[in-house]
Amino acid sequence: MSQLIGVWVAAFLTLCIFSFLSRDNPFFRFAESLFAGVSLGYYIGIVAVNTLVPNLINPLFGDFGANAHLLIPLLLGLNLYTRFIPRIAWLARISLAVYIAYYIGINMVQKIQGEIVPQVGSTILHPIGGVMTPVDNLILIVGVLAVLIYFYFSIEHRGAVGAVSRLGVWFLMLGFGAAFGYTVMGRVSLLIGRMNFLFIDLVRITGQVF
Amino acid sequence: MKLERLVNIDRRIVYLCIAVGTTLPLLLPIGLPVSSTPPVRSLFEKVESLGPEDVVLLSFDYGPTTAPENTPMAEAILRHCFTRGIKVVVIALFPIGGVTMAGEVLANITPEYPQLQEGVDYAFLGYKDGAQAAMKQMGVAFVNVFPVDNGRRPLGEIPLMQRVVNYDDVDLIVTLSTNVIAEWWANLVNAQFGTPVAVGATAVSAPKYYAFLDSGQMIGLLGGLKGASEYERLVIDRYPHFARLYDRPGVYTAIKGMDAQTVDHAIIMAFILFGNTVHFLIRRRDRRAGLRDA
Repeated sequence: MSQLIGVWVAAFLTLCIFSFLSRDNPFFRFAESLFAGVSLGYYIGIVAVNTLVPNLINPLFGDFGANAHLLIPLLLGLNLYTRFIPRIAWLARISLAVYIAYYIGINMVQKIQGEIVPQVGSTILHPIGGVMTPVDNLILIVGVLAVLIYFYFSIEHRGAVGAVSRLGVWFLMLGFGAAFGYTVMGRVSLLIGRMNFLFIDLVRITGQVF
Repeated sequence: MKLERLVNIDRRIVYLCIAVGTTLPLLLPIGLPVSSTPPVRSLFEKVESLGPEDVVLLSFDYGPTTAPENTPMAEAILRHCFTRGIKVVVIALFPIGGVTMAGEVLANITPEYPQLQEGVDYAFLGYKDGAQAAMKQMGVAFVNVFPVDNGRRPLGEIPLMQRVVNYDDVDLIVTLSTNVIAEWWANLVNAQFGTPVAVGATAVSAPKYYAFLDSGQMIGLLGGLKGASEYERLVIDRYPHFARLYDRPGVYTAIKGMDAQTVDHAIIMAFILFGNTVHFLIRRRDRRAGLRDA
């Protein structure tokens, strides 16, 4: 029975969201606010149960001596909440600085080692090389150079530079078109999922109970 | 004036056409053919090359909002791995529902393989916050990130995790992703630890991953519902006993979803063509009217 109640609540909320297709209305706003609130509550719960308890609380209470170093992230985390006390709000910046520094460091290596170098490397191709894809290589090289020229603003886009820049715009438009096509497919897929729920899952589960 | 009415049709008529185009193929499947593309075949062949001694790390980096795209991928890949006896370590790094989706998919699939033992043939480590930091630390040791599994069992007590210490013991990472997390698996884990990475991405995020595919940083890519349907088709073609499973009425699969997807795309294209045709007719009529007035 609890499953039945669950699917009917889900169906009601789905219809509340779909009602926006007609016009903005209180049912849509109720479902939207409920989704935001439930998502936040779920997130807090899941972080507490899956990260804070097994990775911080249990080790500290289980073997404090071996895990005393965990006090550092604990204090840094608690320190973030000093921003609610105006007199010592500045202390929160220390924790934020550590957090930002860590992610800047990790991202710098990621971007250079994991993106710039391999992506540039995979663009260094023989223009007409390869047995199966000579045209692909040429298109890729011309496309990358044309788009880079389009985003190069230190020279006025006139004459030959202007022509290459316009070619870059064409490549960008093709890229955006492909991305938009994929986006349409993604959104339609989500609609398919909801319609499947309303017309098949809901009917099947209701039928199983009665 | 009649032409103006045609370009200003009520948008709810478009919604109604899409709703009908989505629902009818779900209720009455058409069975349109599904052909596979190289990025999907590449992942399929990689899984085919693995066996009972190998380990796949399956990361659920999506939530319920993209389940219609990602869940069919997860189910097909998991079935493929379990059928080949490959050991699977399941984790979740997406906060809003990743661990729930992983639990649901495992609960759906594992009963089909009664011989499987949790902890021996597969392990479900649960969710961890801070994806990048977690990914980096798993390169040192899984136990540093997941001291206990999803059922609160210490990792040291799980037979599979006794031999899977870090990425060195993983033969393939498959991320089912809705956002930037898939990118991190490639530009962090693949770049720094060299473990092969494949991605089951939502359609919205799939285009940017083709660059990673071309550079060899990803060995396979399933793009949205289409990618999921291709993988399902490959699994069914290689292991025909799955056909019965996927053909069951009332069971949502990517192949069935692609019927609705194709009909919807045809409707959208028809409206685009219709709108453009009417637009050009109005332009031609106004131009002629202008010439006549002049």
